[in-house]
Amino acid sequence: MSPEIAVDVGGTFTDLVLRTGDGQVRTYKSSTTKLNIALGIFAGLDRIAADLGVTRGELLATCGSFACGTTIATNAILERKTARTALLCTMGFRDTLLIREGGKPNNFDMFVDYPDPLIPRSRTIGIDERINAEGGIERPLAEADVEGAVALMREWEVEAVAVALLWSIANPAHELRIGEILRSSLPGVPFSLSHRVNPTIREYRRTSAAALDASLKPVVQHHIHDLEERLRAAGFKGTLTFVTSNGGRASSEAIINKPVFICLSGPSGAPQAASRLVREEGIAEASGNIVCIDMGGTSLDVSVIQGWEIPSHREGSIGGHVFGVPSVDVETIGAGGGSIARVDAGGLIHSGPESAGAFPGPACYGRGGTLPTVTDANLVRGLLSPDNFAAGQIKLSVEAAVRAVREHVAEPLGMTVEDAANLICFTTEQNMVAAIEGMTVQKGLDPRSFVLVSGGAAGGLHAASLARELRIPTVLIPRAAGVLSAYGISTGDVKFNFTRSAFSSSVSFDFDRVGTVLAEIRKEAIDFLEGMGVPDERRHLSFSTQARYAGQVWHVTLGVPDGRIRDAEDLAALVEAFHVLHERLNSMRAEGDPVEFVEWDVLAVGRNVNASPPAEPQSTGPADSAERLRRVVHLRELDGPTAIPVYDGPRLCVGQVIEGPALIEDPLTVNLVPPRSTAVVTAQRGILLSLR
Amino acid sequence: MQVTDRKTDLFTMLILRRRFEGIIREMAAVLARSGRSGILNTALDFSCSIVDRKMQSIASPVGLPVHVGSIHLIPQAVVRKFGDDVGPGDCFANNSGYHGNTHCADLTLCVPVFFDGKLAFYSIARAHLSDMGFPTPDTYSPLSKDYYQEGLQLPCIRIQRDFRDIPEVLDICKANIRAPEQFFGDYQAIVASVRTGEQRIQELVASYGVETVEDFLEDYQTYAETMAVNKIRALPGGRVSQETFYDSELDLYPDGIPVRAVLTVDPEAAIVEIDLTDNIDNVPLGINMNESTILACCVNAVLNVLGPEVPRSTGAFRRIKIVMREGSAIGLPKFPAATCAATTNLCHVLPEHIQSMFTRLRPDLGTAFATIGNPASCPGVSGTDSRHGDRPFVNQIMLGYWGGPALPGHDGWLTFGSGTTQGMLWQSSVELVEQQQPILVERLEISPDSGGAGEWEGGPGAHCIFQVRNDAVGFAVNAGGTQFPPGGAGGGLAAAPTRTWRIGTDGRRTEMPISFGETLQPGERLETHGCGGGGFGPPLRRDPALVAHRAREGWISEARAHDVYGVVLAGGSDALTVDVAATEARRASMSAATTSNSDGAQL
Repeated sequence: MSPEIAVDVGGTFTDLVLRTGDGQVRTYKSSTTKLNIALGIFAGLDRIAADLGVTRGELLATCGSFACGTTIATNAILERKTARTALLCTMGFRDTLLIREGGKPNNFDMFVDYPDPLIPRSRTIGIDERINAEGGIERPLAEADVEGAVALMREWEVEAVAVALLWSIANPAHELRIGEILRSSLPGVPFSLSHRVNPTIREYRRTSAAALDASLKPVVQHHIHDLEERLRAAGFKGTLTFVTSNGGRASSEAIINKPVFICLSGPSGAPQAASRLVREEGIAEASGNIVCIDMGGTSLDVSVIQGWEIPSHREGSIGGHVFGVPSVDVETIGAGGGSIARVDAGGLIHSGPESAGAFPGPACYGRGGTLPTVTDANLVRGLLSPDNFAAGQIKLSVEAAVRAVREHVAEPLGMTVEDAANLICFTTEQNMVAAIEGMTVQKGLDPRSFVLVSGGAAGGLHAASLARELRIPTVLIPRAAGVLSAYGISTGDVKFNFTRSAFSSSVSFDFDRVGTVLAEIRKEAIDFLEGMGVPDERRHLSFSTQARYAGQVWHVTLGVPDGRIRDAEDLAALVEAFHVLHERLNSMRAEGDPVEFVEWDVLAVGRNVNASPPAEPQSTGPADSAERLRRVVHLRELDGPTAIPVYDGPRLCVGQVIEGPALIEDPLTVNLVPPRSTAVVTAQRGILLSLR
Repeated sequence: MQVTDRKTDLFTMLILRRRFEGIIREMAAVLARSGRSGILNTALDFSCSIVDRKMQSIASPVGLPVHVGSIHLIPQAVVRKFGDDVGPGDCFANNSGYHGNTHCADLTLCVPVFFDGKLAFYSIARAHLSDMGFPTPDTYSPLSKDYYQEGLQLPCIRIQRDFRDIPEVLDICKANIRAPEQFFGDYQAIVASVRTGEQRIQELVASYGVETVEDFLEDYQTYAETMAVNKIRALPGGRVSQETFYDSELDLYPDGIPVRAVLTVDPEAAIVEIDLTDNIDNVPLGINMNESTILACCVNAVLNVLGPEVPRSTGAFRRIKIVMREGSAIGLPKFPAATCAATTNLCHVLPEHIQSMFTRLRPDLGTAFATIGNPASCPGVSGTDSRHGDRPFVNQIMLGYWGGPALPGHDGWLTFGSGTTQGMLWQSSVELVEQQQPILVERLEISPDSGGAGEWEGGPGAHCIFQVRNDAVGFAVNAGGTQFPPGGAGGGLAAAPTRTWRIGTDGRRTEMPISFGETLQPGERLETHGCGGGGFGPPLRRDPALVAHRAREGWISEARAHDVYGVVLAGGSDALTVDVAATEARRASMSAATTSNSDGAQL
């Protein structure tokens, strides 16, 4: 097999993973170059080439596939650098993007500003037309209005157009006709039709998805073409794919047509990695239930995997704008190494979401920060080495950390600096636990049947505490923890969703219409896999529907076995499956109630085949030879300052056992083996913690 | 309070606070997931709470302002009525304004939580149902004359024993409720929520011990109190009394119904007092308030001014004294006064009435007024739907409930609604409204110039038009703010009034009163301009760039920019910019005119 490269372009770092022909995995990092992501990627490629002792051209010429996860879409939205986009909507509904869906992030905070719409009102044009809930035409499309809009848009020099009409999911005729007019009147200006982008009921979600999609087209197209051209020019002949928000990979052509699919491209890789690693390492074989965390400098990403199933949802949003297409359900909270701690007037401590970021950064960075952060607290606790942080790239000042913690936490609370440092970490961990509980306990899942997989530079010091609090017995810190998303990308499948809206009720089920819709999306899915060059035996189609009891307005995603509903028997089985699922999710079933099916979706998967990793050197002997030194640490669980061993991660052998308390240092991460726990080095040289 | 006075160490404080918040969130998640009616699962018009045996409530991370601050009245009613006759497996239902509930449309369930045979907590959930057996299909009406016109009453009664429904009680409910199946679905969702709370509290107490948990609760209430004390000490002391008016709906008060309060801030004692005793007697309308809604409004208004850092817990409530009298429309109702509209109408005026009084103490405090009444874009609708075999429907639509109040540093939050919910309610989707009811929404957009002008501008109201399709549809509307639109504060101006028209198939327009129940025939329309929120601070102080921006975006007219804000704009309609010199000149002359004519000070 030829080597494969996976890249995760993040806000600060570009992570790279190389999988060699014989299954070896190597990880690299370079700095992200925001203006042109290709430069950071090429710097990383040079690093790989140097490591292998080849030229960049030789590396790329032999490389079979190149998979890229990128935040270009995310950043463009957050930094408002998307295209100048106009929105065409049904007359009388220019404020759909402004209204959103109501609700307020903090119900008791009056001191907040209302967010701006994604596309300003002044570039939103109402068109005289109206389709009703059944798809009937209440008012025909006034083509003169569309022509008038075209003239205005020419004058405004718009770079993209979103079209989102009411009930276009019930009857797309008007959106399609507008599309035709745009194609001929504004050649070269990309546009997005809402019923194609996200064919869902609720006009806000569909409009928002179309608006995001259109406004991303020029910028995404530019970046993708640029990267593709540079790679080809440098000798790359393999398949280039991009990572979608649902964790799959798709061709550059598919992404350019529907860039809304890469809104959450980056974070979707981590849960894939977690799922694969836990399976390969033979952990939790019985259940496949995994909590995956990725803790960086400013935030924590959490996702929850059940029965090996990467969780997907339709509620994804970015910068408060719902994009609505299927995405990996990743929750992000403001808890990271840079999270700032403060004490309030009532003597309670808080941590985050304010973050010191990279500049000025934690007090210990010595870049002018004076407020205590989680990283400062970990340094005070003795868990970080001042000389060995981020592969030695940043030298840490213990004195500055102590000063910040003392002044802002220890003194106001009348406690020692070390206790205060523990309290800062504890507070942050409570926030992280709350986020994980929100995705488990509050959804009816018991964390005790889960494994915690920890990624990110800051994860390894907190993972065990989180697990203990959540009563999760086992923690896996993979060797690739520092580049977990890139690792996930390197092992990811080809994946894309195709969706249609078609309402039908179990009491008057329209077998013909639903049958047609299912056949249509099946064809689209097969065409897509064909185009991606996925051979038959690795193709997998997974059909689902959005279903609810009559009267409910929220749906659950229900699998449609084989993607066929041929007769009353198939329908009865589907209805029963809905009852069972609803009862599991919501603790109740309404036996006699009609079940309504609203949308139909197929997830087209082309399974990846990875060579199994080569065997690593094994040892059952003591890990003493890898012990680097002993360091005094301050942990709540230990009675006073205690010297504990610090191990050199790269020198540990498979099978070696380390009893807590201990620290294991890798170039990019430090991992804590807390008291009352045992660490075992796994077959792939990850660390498996068992808590007692 | 000194940190060292705590019985609970900080680590335990943090962990138990998270656990309690987690339980309340889980209760809410269960309720939202399995509710049936739109107001419950779309608008999220519900709250979940935990109260301890000393009747102290714990800050809820989620929930409606009008439900916070008075939830302890629910278990108090249980104790008052049942004394020791309360056991594990009981569940009590309450929708009575005379038994500590908000109003008859809110069904509140309360489960006593036992540990080791002793009652330790109450797990409570309250939800606004689409139908609770009101005589007309609109859940409540401001026009009810007395208690006997409020339909089904559950005056704190046992609805479950030994964890099982008492079938007779459910039968009575179903016999009085229009959509019994939908009701039963919602009821089961609320039961699932309180039972989840019960189970989680028991697990919590089992793992930490009763004593630790009780110590924590004491310490937590003290913490909340300390936070409140700290904020009140920073307020200016003084006493303000203020009168505003709510639209007249009654011959008795042709010039409007007065709302009065006296606010006293005593920073030294760290007490805020609100005296409501000088209010009018109960009126023969459903708008009379009650203990539950008054406590909630007052506590919430004061805490809004103190800021979001103060936990909405009993400890903080202790620093707020509320004085009211029996027999007053803004006080304790005297039986049989109707209170079915106690969460809207006057209750929409009172919170901001109090907030705006703080502005008189110091100009950088308080807020303007928010939306009053539910505009006709938020009607109760009922009828049968011929698209689905004449399926009956009864629901509350939640479109265009906007118009947030301006406050120092911030324009009004668009989807705010009134101070009872302050932006928490979710808005209906036009498509879902049209799928669930035989209605066509013809328009839903900002009503330009409807937000009150000010240095900070009130949020606008909605311009909404409903057209009735092939089936007659009953509309029940409970609006307000027509005669007396939401006022400004600190020199800010009032919002535009709410106005509603019925438009016949022949195009004839009839203006509607603020409250009405009418059946519209196929082809007829209902058009609304909802009031906005009031403005804050003098309009001439508004940043001209913001004025130009809103003119460009069509929130305000160029006429308002010129006449009210004194901003002279240049350029075409889609590229408006500020003519700085002309604006300065115009503002100077306007300001001179105001000074020489300043007797009629704005509210």
